[in-house]
Amino acid sequence: MKTEYQKKLQIAARQTILIHRADTLIRIILRTIVQSLKVKHAGIFIYDKSKDEYVVKISRGHCNFKIPSGFVKIKQDNPLIRYFTDKNLKFTKEHILWDRISNYCKAPSVKNNTKVKNILEGIKSNLSLYQAKACIPGFFREELVGILFLGDKINKKKFNDNELRFLSVLASDVVMALKNAWLIEDLNRQIELNKRLLLQTISALASSIEAKDKYTIGHTERVANYSLAVAMVLRKHQKIQQWDKFIENLRLGALFHDIGKIGIPENILNKNGSLNREEREIMMQHPTIGANILGHIEELNQALEGVKYHHERYDGSGYPSHLKGKKIPLMASIIALADAFDAFTSDRPYRKAMSIEHAIKIIRKGRGSQFAPSVVNAFLEVYYNKEKFADIINGEPMDALQAKTTQESKI
Amino acid sequence: MTKVNKKVLVVDDEEEIVNFLCNFLKRFGIEAAKANNAQEVFKKHKEDKPDFIFLDIQMPECDGIEILRQLRKNNSHAKVIMITGKTDKNSITAAKKYGAIDYITKPLDLLDLSRKIKNYIL
Repeated sequence: MKTEYQKKLQIAARQTILIHRADTLIRIILRTIVQSLKVKHAGIFIYDKSKDEYVVKISRGHCNFKIPSGFVKIKQDNPLIRYFTDKNLKFTKEHILWDRISNYCKAPSVKNNTKVKNILEGIKSNLSLYQAKACIPGFFREELVGILFLGDKINKKKFNDNELRFLSVLASDVVMALKNAWLIEDLNRQIELNKRLLLQTISALASSIEAKDKYTIGHTERVANYSLAVAMVLRKHQKIQQWDKFIENLRLGALFHDIGKIGIPENILNKNGSLNREEREIMMQHPTIGANILGHIEELNQALEGVKYHHERYDGSGYPSHLKGKKIPLMASIIALADAFDAFTSDRPYRKAMSIEHAIKIIRKGRGSQFAPSVVNAFLEVYYNKEKFADIINGEPMDALQAKTTQESKI
Repeated sequence: MTKVNKKVLVVDDEEEIVNFLCNFLKRFGIEAAKANNAQEVFKKHKEDKPDFIFLDIQMPECDGIEILRQLRKNNSHAKVIMITGKTDKNSITAAKKYGAIDYITKPLDLLDLSRKIKNYIL
């Protein structure tokens, strides 16, 4: 027949599997220890790899004993640590108990051994500093990851073997939880790093076209900005499946929409004056070339539609696939409009930049023929929000827009 | 334990830390007063004229260095031990300029802290 506290402790131990946040689990374990073993307080030292010291991260119990999180540390050479880690000390490493240490100190063999005596005395003074009666180590293989420390029981009784065994189990659960948490932290850091690297590579690749085609300088970034702004408004009026993914791919698609121009001869790209029929046909290959280039990068597959179809027109007279109406992916419709707007309002070899008002007029006119009506509506809504529109025109950094997106999507 | 006849003030914006330090000082027979912000410090300083102050550097609104500067301006001769979150060389230099006698860095070693209490206060 198990006693009540054992049941509780076992429940706490099982939570290791369910709780992914190590500190939540440790809090539960400490609270259970305080309540069930009726100790005045309990806390834990956790190893801090970066500083090579042990810090009290969590402590529970009566307010007189509660140590603020992260306020107190002990170093590797602290006797409490050395007791468990120093291979030359032949103690039982299962736990430190105040009474046992006191008895050791009185033993004749210890009295004459200054080194051992000093350590034991050091342990005693540390135990009193933390008002601890017991310390239970948590090891991962050879590595001391944490130390549980417990205050006196309220009834002043000693810890029995059963209780100590259970505390050891809990200590190793804590270690497993910590190890998992650290592993996940490392993993997330690595993922974050890779993501950043990918994004940097992407921007470098996306801007590589600017080296060849002087008219695209800043164009891709602006198209990405306009596209994101339009998407955010569109979302208010229609459901967009998997929004987070959509917006990320839209951004990538917009950044890459002209990447295929890398495959277009420079004399055509930068020609002063209008293109002849043959040149125009070559130029019209750039969405397909772009899609082919990106087709090799798995992570960018979803952004591909935006690249491939950004020259399709709502009435089906676009290229390369003559898609019509709703057949044109939403992402491509958005990029198409953003691309056109930026082209209208930038200088071109064959004409000067139009005014914004003029460009808006053309876009209105193209509603339902060149452009998807819903996208035009969303764009006009962006336009009429003058303040925000000015920000976007002036090239508010995309990251800021991104941040806004996530915030808004939370609301 | 004999009561220590010295006036000590503990200053930190975190209630838990103030409580912990005051309880820790109690073990040495020291009954310390508490303050969570600049106004409280100046008020307690006026009323009690503490001999020792544990003063947290990082506090919102008015930080520990500024509090120390103002205390000195008001002719406080209290011995001040700064508590700092990181080894911020600039603030430590500033604290020394205004006559702080020592500083402790969080997380701190309780053995270290008790040595300082014994050295400076007892």
